[in-house]
Amino acid sequence: MLFLLRRLGFYLAAFFVAITLNFFIPRWMPGDPTTRIVLSLRGKIKPEQIEAIKKAYGYSGSLLDQYWLYLQRLSHFDFGISTVNFPAPTSDLLFYAAGWTLFLVGVATALSFGIGIVMGIYSAWHRGGFFDSVFTPVNVMLNAFTPAVVALLLWYAFSLEWALFPLGRAHDIDLTPGWDFNSAVNIAWHATLPVISIVLVNFGAWHLGMRNTMINLLNEDFVVLAKAKGLPDRRIRYRYVARNAILPQITSLALSMGYVLGGAFITEVVLNYPGLGKFTLNAIEARDYSFIQAQLLLLTGSVLIANLASDILNVIFDPRLRTGSRH
Amino acid sequence: MKSLLKMTSLVLLGCVLSGAASAAEIDLRLAPSHADAMIENFNPYNISGPASYVQDFAYEPLWINNVWHADKDFPALATSYDIATDLKSVTYHLRPGTKWSDGVDFTADDVVFTYNYAKAHPDYAVGLDFYSAKDDTGSLTGIEKIDDHTVKFDLIRPNSLAHIDIGSLFPLPQHVWKDVTDPANFANKTVVGTGPWTEIKEFSRNSFKLCRNPQYRDNATNKIDCLQFPQLSDNNQVIAALSKGDLDWATDGITDPDKTFTPKSPDNHYWLPADAGTNLQLNTSKAPFNNLEFRKAMSMAIDRQTLLDVATFGLTTAAKYPIGEGMFYKDWIDDKALQPYAYLMEYNPDAAKKVLDAAGFVDKDGDGWRDEPDGKPIAFKMAVPAGWDDWVNTLQTISENLQDIGINAKMETPEESAWMDNIPTGNFDVYIMWTELSATPWGTYHPMFNPLWMKPGTLRNESMHQMRIPAIEADLNDITATVDPAVQKAKTTDVMVQVAQNLPVITLFSNPGWYEYSTRNFTGWPTKENPWARPMSPAGIHERVKVALSLVPVQH
Repeated sequence: MLFLLRRLGFYLAAFFVAITLNFFIPRWMPGDPTTRIVLSLRGKIKPEQIEAIKKAYGYSGSLLDQYWLYLQRLSHFDFGISTVNFPAPTSDLLFYAAGWTLFLVGVATALSFGIGIVMGIYSAWHRGGFFDSVFTPVNVMLNAFTPAVVALLLWYAFSLEWALFPLGRAHDIDLTPGWDFNSAVNIAWHATLPVISIVLVNFGAWHLGMRNTMINLLNEDFVVLAKAKGLPDRRIRYRYVARNAILPQITSLALSMGYVLGGAFITEVVLNYPGLGKFTLNAIEARDYSFIQAQLLLLTGSVLIANLASDILNVIFDPRLRTGSRH
Repeated sequence: MKSLLKMTSLVLLGCVLSGAASAAEIDLRLAPSHADAMIENFNPYNISGPASYVQDFAYEPLWINNVWHADKDFPALATSYDIATDLKSVTYHLRPGTKWSDGVDFTADDVVFTYNYAKAHPDYAVGLDFYSAKDDTGSLTGIEKIDDHTVKFDLIRPNSLAHIDIGSLFPLPQHVWKDVTDPANFANKTVVGTGPWTEIKEFSRNSFKLCRNPQYRDNATNKIDCLQFPQLSDNNQVIAALSKGDLDWATDGITDPDKTFTPKSPDNHYWLPADAGTNLQLNTSKAPFNNLEFRKAMSMAIDRQTLLDVATFGLTTAAKYPIGEGMFYKDWIDDKALQPYAYLMEYNPDAAKKVLDAAGFVDKDGDGWRDEPDGKPIAFKMAVPAGWDDWVNTLQTISENLQDIGINAKMETPEESAWMDNIPTGNFDVYIMWTELSATPWGTYHPMFNPLWMKPGTLRNESMHQMRIPAIEADLNDITATVDPAVQKAKTTDVMVQVAQNLPVITLFSNPGWYEYSTRNFTGWPTKENPWARPMSPAGIHERVKVALSLVPVQH
């Protein structure tokens, strides 16, 4: 219990540091959200008007005053108003974008994990065979590609040259997404290219990880015993070896989420997919402080929660961490 | 149950539609600005996006200046205007019988309201240049309602060109805005305008439509039912959408269009008329840029043909004279007066070297680079935002040209926001910069030589050079003090000659005006052969509503 409380205290402290940095980092960048407005008015604006605009957007007063206001707002879950997508509340857009990112990353991760694991099992079982010696190096090579290059190539080939897939967006312009067949097909069709470009650079890692762990396990005594018992190959492959080999893959799946998200951000920008990456890039360029803050908060929040969850799971599964329990 | 209802209503709708034969809606799809998501904000003076959708199309200005043909302006909410004989006021005669889209009459009260409302809300910039007694700047002192359809704007001093700025005011409906206390933060979700398209339809994060105003005076001749604005977030996406038939009208940067754009579809067309000029803004408040001979040598050392053909992909247009602007105002340019300065635009590195040698800019410390006459080394940076490819190439070429004649000039590419934010500070050596275009050259030279914008801290992009030229300031004043075109032309020529003599900026070329269109669904686009109005479509090009209204739908 004490362990958990200590961890909880740590996470609260980390959270506070994070929201403070979230406030200051965007403001340390040169420029502010009003710069563009002032420039686009082409000089038909007086200094007192510039001050008035800053005030209207909540960017006047000392940095400390603004910080205090930010903390107060945050305690009411008020993320402020986006200046790029003025005057939509930041939270509206954040959750709109996060939804599409979650969908994209979820589907792509499930697919790349599934494909990678199956290929890994097959090439470990028939190691040194034709499949293994062709696909293992190819997949490792694909894994070394950067998401930006893959997305650009796919976009150029399949959206521009052979217009098989749509030019970005999560669904057709005239479609109102709902829980029906039409929407599902349309959304899937639009997600195809982004999902493929994320899957292409990610599944190789699972293939390689699964293959290596499997090969180690194949030499273990329990596998030899299973073979000696005369169990069918299928049973040994899946129930004995793969089942054990998949455990470390699941652990690294949790760790890889950051990397996958990073890749998805780039894919979204290249393929005009309305996710977090696309909105965040524009927010940074236009110094949309409230969106940058809210987006960073969402990310830090989810990382901290994931860590906390894994701590709790560890306590449950690892009796050594439970102080005060019977030894 | 719900879906059953939906089905039935769809079937019913289908019956209604097929009943009204050939009622297919005609939509013009255009992308006047980039967006990551559509936002329900239709405030005409919120510049982040709404302005590009609702200005001109839903909210009409008083008067549309035809910037390419000053003698063929387009009356809008005003049918005519008079400049007082003392040039100290402008009177607008408003179009009688005009109604806002909700049926309320449009009158002089709306214009008076807009003026006073803007004055009361300084954070809501409508672009009116109010007089400020504190620092004696600005021009407008008040507004008077003469009768229901006549308003008079008063000026602090005689100004024959004040109507250019005043005419582009978009009056707001008093009966809607009088209750709005915080206009800068007002999203104006229901548009009440007088323009051809005012009704918001089918709004989503992906696109929305602006459809027919039931009260619009020329509905009988307006063939377009709705303007549709699809969400597109960068140049590539806009051009790709146009090629694919998902867009009709674009106004985006494009490279190598004959390879990447026109072969994609027989309906793809583009025309890139010469637009705003591009100059080097030199910081003349410090050495070596405070030396005229040095500036002359810089101008002669630049290989402008390479800038045109290679650096800017052949899409820019040559500038003939070093007047701080390209050939945009060709009717105003006096070749005879400016011919003596044409040599400054020719690539002549040997002559540039001679000028530098004669002025004492020679290599004194033996490091291979020229130094100032007093021996101080010269090394400076020329700034352009990272990613502005044509201008990055331009500065790259210029830095090589300057290095060839022994000047240690380098390019730097800060991030766009940092570059923009640094403009007012005066903390720079050389910037590459656009000019402001207007219906007359006065609108270009006034911001370039306005002493108010030459103090570090409040510099403007056009006046970053900080060189005050009293003769030019006097000429610019004289131009606004007369309505005589002959005097205006003579004074304008004098301004151009002064710029050529003093070189506060180094003239490079004219940028293209970006204009791409598809004839798949509409014909009748302005072309090089029929350039009756500027065909670009971003906010600020008020002619765009006239272009939209002139299009002819293709019968499929």
